[in-house]
Amino acid sequence: MKWVTGDAERREALAEHPGAALVSAELPLRANLSALENIALVPQYRRDLDWAAASAEALALLEQLGCAECAGKRDAALTHAERFQVKLLRAVAAKPALVVIERPGYLLPDSHYPPFVDAALAALQGRYGECMIVDYAWNAPLYPPR
Amino acid sequence: MLGFADPQRVLRRRGVVFVAWASGWLRLLRFGAAAVVAALSPSIYNPATRAVVAKQIYFTAWQVIPGFVLFVAALSAVIVNIVDATARDYGLSQYANEVTMRVLVLEIIPLIAALFVSLRSGAAINTEVALMNLRNEIEALARAGVDPMHFEFVPRLVGCVVSVVSLTVLSCAIALLIAYLGVYGFFLWGVPEFTRSVGNVFDAQITIGLGLKCLFFGIAVGIIPMGEALAGPREPHVAPVTVLRGMMRLFFVLLLIEVASLAFKYT
Repeated sequence: MKWVTGDAERREALAEHPGAALVSAELPLRANLSALENIALVPQYRRDLDWAAASAEALALLEQLGCAECAGKRDAALTHAERFQVKLLRAVAAKPALVVIERPGYLLPDSHYPPFVDAALAALQGRYGECMIVDYAWNAPLYPPR
Repeated sequence: MLGFADPQRVLRRRGVVFVAWASGWLRLLRFGAAAVVAALSPSIYNPATRAVVAKQIYFTAWQVIPGFVLFVAALSAVIVNIVDATARDYGLSQYANEVTMRVLVLEIIPLIAALFVSLRSGAAINTEVALMNLRNEIEALARAGVDPMHFEFVPRLVGCVVSVVSLTVLSCAIALLIAYLGVYGFFLWGVPEFTRSVGNVFDAQITIGLGLKCLFFGIAVGIIPMGEALAGPREPHVAPVTVLRGMMRLFFVLLLIEVASLAFKYT
């Protein structure tokens, strides 16, 4: 966890990990692509996979997180929870050493987000090295003791 | 003093406007050069980019062929009749073929093809890239390890170039056919004379010039809307102005290419 108290501090925290896979409200999904296509893009471009292999990999990731039903939806049709899951999957699709989730409360405004984020990360164990959550210090009481 | 502006301030303001105008063109040129170099690099055409390029060519060129060809056929028939009737009136019917080809095939059709693709695809590209820029989708792609140049920009550029060139070639072939039918009707006796006229008009210099003009048209239609959209400020209320500026700049460049081509050919 990384607690911040303002925007400048948040930006500083993000700048410390320029190579990390970032899940952020400021990094939207590509609007004219489905959730599956948004995730499949990463293996397609980073590992030169063809569409069949990349989409199979993306679908496996969606199934692993239990949200395969949103595969065909575009960004505007996704719920906050689904959008967060797809963004998280796009971030872990490249099997990064570090995933940074910044301001999860901003991504999941209509739910008690810490357990949801924890469950998603637990379901994707092994797909990434480490995970860091950047959140405002005043949200600390929402999280269970770690 | 009332009615007299401070000349120094006026000059400074003009200077600022000029620098902004020049830097806009410079930024556009820089983006265009990067996109053209990327499009010419075989290494970027991985399966994903190839698929997007194919999709762009389908939407920009293939889908519009029937409508555009019909329009060109009607336009060609009208112009061929006008030129043929006027040439007969002045006793210059031996020049009718050549005049038709020079006016219709070398000038009007390539410009119309470029304007058609600009209105249909250029405007859509301009708006879409402006919205992507506004929503920060370009940075999001880059952050996910997907180069926007490969995934978004090069396929659109290639789509526009292929579209303009293929629509021009197809339309020119149809215009030639209609020119023949308009002058000689459904008979074959005019074929030798007609092919001689075609040979006279399409010498090496003219043919290369036509090819280059179509290529520049295609590059302009692809580059200018994207470059302008990327340079626009990330504010929703400015998006219409960004699109308007891109389309105006594109119109101006297309006409500039046409004028340069005319000047090169006829001076």
